[in-house]
Amino acid sequence: MGAGGAAGAALPGERVRISRLTRMLESQKVLAAALLAPGVVILLLFIAYPFVMALWFSLTSIRVGDPGEFIGLANFAKAWNDTIFQTAFKNTVFYTFWATIFKLALGMWLALLLNRHFRFKRLIRASMLLPFIIPTVLSAFAWRWMFDPTFSVINWLLYHSGVITDRLPFLSDGDWAMWCAVLVNTWRGMPFFAITLLAGLQTISPDLHEAAALDGANAWHRFWHVTWPLLIPVTLVVVVFSVIQTFSDFQLIYVLTGGGPANSTHLIATYAYQVGVASGLLGEGAALSLFMFPVLFAVVWVQLRFMKRMEGA
Amino acid sequence: MKRRKFLKSVGAGVAATGLGGILAAHRAPVFAQASTVHILRWNDFVPAADKVLREVYVPEVQKALGIKLNVETVNANDIPARATAGIQSGSGPDIIMLLNNYPQLYAAGAVDVSDVAGEVGKAQGGIYNLPKSMCTVGGKWVAMPWATVPALLAYRKSWFDEIGVKEFPKTWAQYHAAGKKLKAAKRPIGQTLGHTFGDAPTFAYPLLWSYGGQEVDAKGKVVLDSKATVESVRFMTEFWKDAHDEGGLAWDDSNNNRSFLSGDICASLNGASIYVAALNGADKFKTEKGAPLHTDILHAPLPAGPKGEYPYHTAFTHMVMKYSKNAKAAKEFLRWAHTKANYEKWVVVQKGFAVAPTRDWEKHPMWDKDPVMLPFKTASRRGRHMGFAGAPDKKAAEAWNKYIIVDMYAQAASGKMKPEESVKWAAGELRKIYT
Amino acid sequence: MLIERKWKKWIFFYLPIAMFILFTLFPFYWMAVTALRPDHELYRTWRQASATPFWTLEPTLEHFKGLLRTTAFPQWLWNTMLIAIVSTAISLICGMFAGYALARLKFRGSEFLGTAIFITYLVPQTLLFIPLADIIRDMRLGNTPWALMLTYPTFLIPFCTWLLMGYFKTIPKELEECARIDGATRFGAMVRIVFPVAIPGILSAGIFAFTLSWNEFIYALIFMSSAELKTVPVGVVSELIRGDIFFWGQLMAGALLGSIPVALVYSFFVEYYVTGLTGSVKG
Repeated sequence: MGAGGAAGAALPGERVRISRLTRMLESQKVLAAALLAPGVVILLLFIAYPFVMALWFSLTSIRVGDPGEFIGLANFAKAWNDTIFQTAFKNTVFYTFWATIFKLALGMWLALLLNRHFRFKRLIRASMLLPFIIPTVLSAFAWRWMFDPTFSVINWLLYHSGVITDRLPFLSDGDWAMWCAVLVNTWRGMPFFAITLLAGLQTISPDLHEAAALDGANAWHRFWHVTWPLLIPVTLVVVVFSVIQTFSDFQLIYVLTGGGPANSTHLIATYAYQVGVASGLLGEGAALSLFMFPVLFAVVWVQLRFMKRMEGA
Repeated sequence: MKRRKFLKSVGAGVAATGLGGILAAHRAPVFAQASTVHILRWNDFVPAADKVLREVYVPEVQKALGIKLNVETVNANDIPARATAGIQSGSGPDIIMLLNNYPQLYAAGAVDVSDVAGEVGKAQGGIYNLPKSMCTVGGKWVAMPWATVPALLAYRKSWFDEIGVKEFPKTWAQYHAAGKKLKAAKRPIGQTLGHTFGDAPTFAYPLLWSYGGQEVDAKGKVVLDSKATVESVRFMTEFWKDAHDEGGLAWDDSNNNRSFLSGDICASLNGASIYVAALNGADKFKTEKGAPLHTDILHAPLPAGPKGEYPYHTAFTHMVMKYSKNAKAAKEFLRWAHTKANYEKWVVVQKGFAVAPTRDWEKHPMWDKDPVMLPFKTASRRGRHMGFAGAPDKKAAEAWNKYIIVDMYAQAASGKMKPEESVKWAAGELRKIYT
Repeated sequence: MLIERKWKKWIFFYLPIAMFILFTLFPFYWMAVTALRPDHELYRTWRQASATPFWTLEPTLEHFKGLLRTTAFPQWLWNTMLIAIVSTAISLICGMFAGYALARLKFRGSEFLGTAIFITYLVPQTLLFIPLADIIRDMRLGNTPWALMLTYPTFLIPFCTWLLMGYFKTIPKELEECARIDGATRFGAMVRIVFPVAIPGILSAGIFAFTLSWNEFIYALIFMSSAELKTVPVGVVSELIRGDIFFWGQLMAGALLGSIPVALVYSFFVEYYVTGLTGSVKG
């Protein structure tokens, strides 16, 4: 009781002081405050405060070097009616939706495959993570060159093996470019899904599978009725994080297509960057970025409610 | 007794060295006040020029003015981000290199450099009109023009000869016809219509002007949706399919360089960097017959449309930032760099890719060395600015940065929109800016 | 005991695994070949059979040498390492403390704070970097590694907190209660009992944080201006993308070399990573 580490030879006054601090930290409230302080301070200083500033920007006509004046929601109205923004919003939803589905499906499949024992298991597991490890900017450049209209290695392969007679317009056609972006994002994010789902799989006891098999269930049934229900919490978590990252993605599109051709692959983040930074219209750029919020917020809220329900059950 | 003597002698010794020290190091106060000038520029397409900055300018300006020059180069696309962050936060490089009419966007954060511009202009035969219009706001110079990169068509002489075109096409119709034949022989024209800061607008705006189209009239009213504009977009749509490498929709400013050097395209609008690269890599870049590629490259201006030919050339300018604590030293540096002796070292290495912003340099003997580069000598004399017929101001800069004119052509060429729709869209976007 | 027929194994296991390996690793193979390819081979188009993108008969180390000697790449590697390690350390400590507080301690507003911390994860960096530039300047941190070491935790702490919170919840309360009965303080029990048990989770959060720091681009671009202080993504992109010829080889070399440190970290810790996530997702 008290002064777990206090030296016995302390002076009476000193012991009291040490005790008091320790005693204070015994209180859950005080300890919580002390523990949360460093994190909260950093977040307040470097997120909350600049966020409020950015919010203020979005309500003014601020441009580079010119503080502008308060204009209420005019920036948001302008963005709402901006055809390029509408395209960017649709693209972002499209991109997030398909990339997440592919990452989940492929990640799950890969996790199931990696869950077995086979030679070189450790090496293969580690190497599967490489797309996730390499900085996005650099791998996006590599992909960009792999899709390049003049030098594409994929075109070379398909052409010289007779599969195509003219090159595929990977990044020069709006629709193709969007799918290429989904592909690269899937390539990059699938390992994260796979490893996390693998972690979840390893908590499922093999006995459950054996019992099901003995009952006559085939592989698909086993997966759907035994594995999947137990994986739902993990899946939910990883999907939410992935959706947040993908929806606010900037680097990949910035490097891969720059938003082109003709604005057809712009995401909200890249368009906001182009308006805010390249054109110096900081207020409008901030307003555009803020449009991401309602969607992300909704996604997170749904997940938190779901998780709470699961915890309660 | 001994101690006092000792102390005295020590004291005397210190005094002696102290005074002597100061006298000996009479240059010390100058070094103590030496300033640093941090200059942010793009990664030059001609790497040798950046070498001149780092290996020649840095030591020499240190000797001449005691200024420590800190040269930082970044990808040109990242400069707006740095400039914006710098102006907003009030700290960053002392001099930032800007392109096109960015100086108009950042004018509020600039130091007046009219004195430097006036001196240099007077000493060197006057600054060309195009860079002048980019750098002046209400008569005040907010940036100092450093160089212009004129854009001309680089083309494969032998390929045009083979299809019977001995002189480079002077009108769009002729160019179209030639391009059609060449594309059929798998030698299309290469042009980017992507979101690039250089080649794409440099092609799109002159195309618009050559048909008589323009963004706004002299009063600032949007007049883009005119018959002339629609005609130019219709032309481009056909021209694209018939004669161009359609991958150009995804190209950036470097794709056409690589394509040309790989022998994939017959012509491209570019600065002289294609030719300069072929020259410097004469053993790497060869024609299909095995000769060095540079022997087959010539330059020509863009063809004329029904209403003439109006080129656009990219101006590269230096802005001294208001937040800088070394503004005085920065201006000193600019004055020093623009002197004939120093500027020459930089511009000669460019071999004509970037040319001086002042007229006197047309007389420089470097132009006599290579006839292939001759068209670049006087290219900067002519040119129109974006936002014609209005001023190349903030609104024009915004339209430029949103790639409205480029997209107008790209959307039609890719088949996404009909020419009339695309023009209507572009005019609508312009109206949002020019309200 | 499930005995699978040989052909089933081939179709359902070997073939898919091979496809996955091909899909994930093919770009790396191609990057390696490109990095080793001499310049004059780099500009052959897709139509030319001689382009042989999958092998080169004249491998050269000139790109790697050029990268290491003529650019500040080694410096960038060092910078990125340092910044990633410090940011990860800061985020882990904050995350461990916060995660414990939210998982174990009862106090008013704990739910609110947990959600609030999570919400900050939603704020995109493209929105924040302009106002942040102001703050960084006011704190005189511009162009110093501390600008990044203090701003990276903003997107690392929420994730670490959340992950560790989940992990701590799975640790039986009895462990701490026993320790406290033996005379340990709450703080002491946390540090000496809970944290050691949670090491897999901590490592897992740390590895993930390390990866994210390594990957960050926009803050590093804006806050660091001297060539010697840049991080690998910014340095490679801004100094090797001259938009013109000759640097693709170095770019690919840079991309490969730039992934090695993180790959090494992973290869040592991937098993911990997996078990760490296991713990946290159970909860």
